Amino acid sequence: MAGYHQNLDQQQAPAFFARGPSPLARLAFFTALSLALMATDSRLQYLSSMREHLMVVLQPLQLIANAPSMFYESTNEYFSTHHRLLSENQLLRKQALTQAIPLQKMKALELENSNLRQLLDANQSLEEFSQLGEILHVGRDPFTKKIVVNRGSVHHVMDGAAVVDAKGVIGQVTRTYPVSSEVTLITDKSLTIPIQIERNGLRAIAFGHGRDNTLDLPFLPANVDIKPGDKLITSGIDGIYPKGLAVATVTDIQTTQDSPFARIVCVPTGGIENHKQVLLVSISPTGSTIKPDISNNPSKPSTSSQQPINTSANNAKPKATSSGVMNESNQLKKITNEVPATTVAPSTPNKPHAQD
Amino acid sequence: MKCQQQQLLLAPQTNLMHKTKLKSIYLSLLVAFICLLLPWSGFALKLRPDFVLLVIIFWILRAPNRCNIGTAWFIGLWVDLATGGVFGQHALAYTVTTFVAVIYQRRLVLFSNSQQLVYVLLLLVISQLTLLTVKTFEGSESLGWAYFLPSITGVILWQIAVALGLNTSRPSRSK
Repeated sequence: MAGYHQNLDQQQAPAFFARGPSPLARLAFFTALSLALMATDSRLQYLSSMREHLMVVLQPLQLIANAPSMFYESTNEYFSTHHRLLSENQLLRKQALTQAIPLQKMKALELENSNLRQLLDANQSLEEFSQLGEILHVGRDPFTKKIVVNRGSVHHVMDGAAVVDAKGVIGQVTRTYPVSSEVTLITDKSLTIPIQIERNGLRAIAFGHGRDNTLDLPFLPANVDIKPGDKLITSGIDGIYPKGLAVATVTDIQTTQDSPFARIVCVPTGGIENHKQVLLVSISPTGSTIKPDISNNPSKPSTSSQQPINTSANNAKPKATSSGVMNESNQLKKITNEVPATTVAPSTPNKPHAQD
Repeated sequence: MKCQQQQLLLAPQTNLMHKTKLKSIYLSLLVAFICLLLPWSGFALKLRPDFVLLVIIFWILRAPNRCNIGTAWFIGLWVDLATGGVFGQHALAYTVTTFVAVIYQRRLVLFSNSQQLVYVLLLLVISQLTLLTVKTFEGSESLGWAYFLPSITGVILWQIAVALGLNTSRPSRSK
């Protein structure tokens, strides 16, 4: 390079014009390269692992970029008023109290359900694992509805896990990186979710509308039994979303003379744009090997739901009480295996309570 | 080190335009990239100017021998990574945009600031149109006219930068 430029000294041509290959050649080269990349990325799977590795490189930059807002939030929290904290505390107490009764009933019902299922020789319902994730940022592409949360493959988050907030389903994990994962919201055009009308059990599939934070229920006949105000819950037949989670509320139904289908618009129940924390729920069949580590799970319904089975079984068989955690889990399996014989009796007192 | 030596050797010949260090180019691109990574949401996301492309255009006008189509393509890949889209779409958009910028670069530096502003707007729109084409092929839905808002905010940002003293026109007199 240097020699080339020294030669230029003798030829009077200013280096001003020495620019290497012509812009057109560069354009052709790099355009071809990007087109090849796009084709590879959208049709083949070669680049997904590369993307994961590069995301690790991007992580420190992401931390720097998140620092100002994190700092703002933490100082805001620090200086939050006494009054606000008190009122929030009161509200949470009330909530905990009102939810305590249904929760207790729920445990009894779950126990009863599992017993009945075993009596009928039906398949066990799927077990759920959930972990708390925090939203890092909203997706950067204005074309898609996505969020990025701070749990990744290191925390055993897998593609396809359902993402839920306090009020309902908000989306699904579509891409996992080592320490973060990308969640596509249910309002995204590419996401569909199998639902059921709570009132009459009618099953359908909801499609994200994309633009204005709504969901569509297409391909339903004009005379379908759906009214504004109906609640949509997950049907659970897909094995991805746990059954019975709130998804959306029907707000509008339009039928026209010339179309055999009704146009049904629903609004998501989950606060898609105003929450910081979400739950990542993944379903795995009972007895599956993957279990997320407990230390990362502030809330874990799966263990709490197993609790009543354990205690009632222990009541029935005093021999089963043990101190070791490992033993306990082993016995839990053993006990659930022989549930029909032992725990029908302790669950019967719950029955009248559970039925009302 | 080797690079610096080469720079010193080349100094009398190549720096007819500006004494621009590679370091400052990469640093500014890094800052622009971090601006992209900031947690934008809601309406701010729709308004967010393309910081990275603005910085690239600035350096293309100011130091075309240091920052070229290849640089733009490479940075475009990182932007693709950050936005989580298909690899290569921003790279393609930046390549096309910088190509247009490079062709007219010599004329462009002779323009006045307001003339340049129009040209920068054109470049930003070209980039967005390229992206829009790719997205349409992918099957994304259209966003309406609001999609072009970042170009407007980008030009405003450019104007602010010029008002603050960053100058790309008439390089011989700017020093």
